[in-house]
Amino acid sequence: MREHREAMEEISVREATREDVEEAANLVVRMKKLNNEFDPLFTVVDDAPERAQSYLSKSLGSKSALVLVAVKGKRVVGVLRAEVRERNFYKPTVGGNITDFYILPEHRRKALGNTMLERASKALQKLGAQVVTAEFPARNEIAVKFYSKRNFRALTNIYAESRE
Amino acid sequence: MRYSAFYGGKVATTPKVPIRSLDDFSIWYTPGVAAVSKMIQRDVELSFEYTNRWNSIAIITDGSRVLGLGKIGPEAALPVMEGKSLIYKYLGGVDAFPLPIRVADVEKFVETVSSLEPALGGINLEDTESPKCFEILERLRGQMNIPVWHDDQQGTAGVILAAIYNSLELTEREIGETRITLLGSGAANISAVRLLGEAGADKKKMIVVDSKGILHPEREDMDQLLLRNRWKYEVALATNGGRVRGGLEEALKGADVLVAAAAPGPHLVKKREVAGMARRAIVFLLANPVPEMWPSDAIAAGAEIVATGRSDFPNQVNNSILFPAIFRGALDVRARTITDGMVIATAREIARFAKDKGLTPKRIIPTMLDWEVYPRVAATVGVKAQEEGEARKRASKLELGRHAREIIERSRKTLRILLEKRIIPPPPR
Repeated sequence: MREHREAMEEISVREATREDVEEAANLVVRMKKLNNEFDPLFTVVDDAPERAQSYLSKSLGSKSALVLVAVKGKRVVGVLRAEVRERNFYKPTVGGNITDFYILPEHRRKALGNTMLERASKALQKLGAQVVTAEFPARNEIAVKFYSKRNFRALTNIYAESRE
Repeated sequence: MRYSAFYGGKVATTPKVPIRSLDDFSIWYTPGVAAVSKMIQRDVELSFEYTNRWNSIAIITDGSRVLGLGKIGPEAALPVMEGKSLIYKYLGGVDAFPLPIRVADVEKFVETVSSLEPALGGINLEDTESPKCFEILERLRGQMNIPVWHDDQQGTAGVILAAIYNSLELTEREIGETRITLLGSGAANISAVRLLGEAGADKKKMIVVDSKGILHPEREDMDQLLLRNRWKYEVALATNGGRVRGGLEEALKGADVLVAAAAPGPHLVKKREVAGMARRAIVFLLANPVPEMWPSDAIAAGAEIVATGRSDFPNQVNNSILFPAIFRGALDVRARTITDGMVIATAREIARFAKDKGLTPKRIIPTMLDWEVYPRVAATVGVKAQEEGEARKRASKLELGRHAREIIERSRKTLRILLEKRIIPPPPR
């Protein structure tokens, strides 16, 4: 608990600004590369850093997206991106989906992930989401464990077959 | 090659009870053995008293990383395991069965080895590739009630620690203040980081360098490590408090100690890199057969103490100083495990032994010729196992030392007699 408090004193979680985009994009790319460890269909494109910057910049300007950063001093050490999606056929009809979530290794296991997730859930609720979902590679056992521990359950499956 | 064919291998089992006639088999085998078996059935711990289990270990490998030879398979690993068995017997009086196994994965490895427990007093894992070896050791240690030892991890780390103790003494350094750079992130150095930390070194003052450069928590491959080698991942998180980045040159700037256990040299470590170390630098170059740099180059670059893995240079940092003694001690108290505390006590005792004989920069550690070191270290291990509550049997240090000396002397004497009587014939010319 003490360790958690100390870590939290040093690291703050807030909504991202334009100044954070470059560093946050680096973390998004690290996460995409991590995804590649689970499946070759997540092989990262060469210009991923540029794409990640553009992706986050657009998200910052969108009313249906949310980008949170964890900051230590002036450094971005964690990023969470989520978006609000209509659920056309189901109730509840609006969901908040976490699409990207990455924390630098050094800052893991200090409850920062929990803090960011709670903060994101509240923000998504304010944006109208009545259910929070998270997407990640099916074989990412670390993510499965993280979300399962927080009462998330598997909702949909996406199966793939490469035709290359 | 010719000798191996001539002798048909290096070790064999020999009876240790009198067989005066075939009638004696009714004592040693059936029907006499039934009473012993029934006793053991009632209390399995008696298998340590009524059978040779108390002195038996297995040397187990899957042949996936055999010294200097790589992935050669279990059959080809057998001569190497036989050699190790010979060292165990000659220096520690331990009956060590060479046992390469054909297993496809970690699961099968663990299952196979753990099933051998009833016959053995200990397990020596050998020449198994990293990072697989970390998981195998961790799991077997967790589930077996006899010591499981991986010599490439604990043995090498222990002997490195012994050599570091005396090097620090000679160069007037405190372990907690010492900056240690480790080149190579295989079984030996990953284990050395842990053991050095347990022994009082500050992990934040350690830097580990591998083929991709300095290990640090923000390195690009950290997530790969998390998934594929979590032991190295933990080392990356725990070390390099100064967040130094770059390569070996940067890692060695101002370092007190270099422990290189990477790959054969002799140009892996450069003179200018050693020249950048602190005054009175300590340099261990442990790759075989060719050290990461020649010792003469290290000295020319300013190193005060240089050690290698080779016997033809001063200061051989060699596991053989440690493993026969640690198992002798562990077996003599019927230890359930070998803890880091026991390895640290062993390293201290080895260092003290060398100190008693007179420390110099060219003699920081005993050699295999100093056979008195083995009973002395064995006794220390036995005492430490009792202190840590890991011993099934109690004995004083004096008793343990005497007992170890007797067993080791008997082993050497037996060999001498077999040679004198030409039961072991001289090698062919």
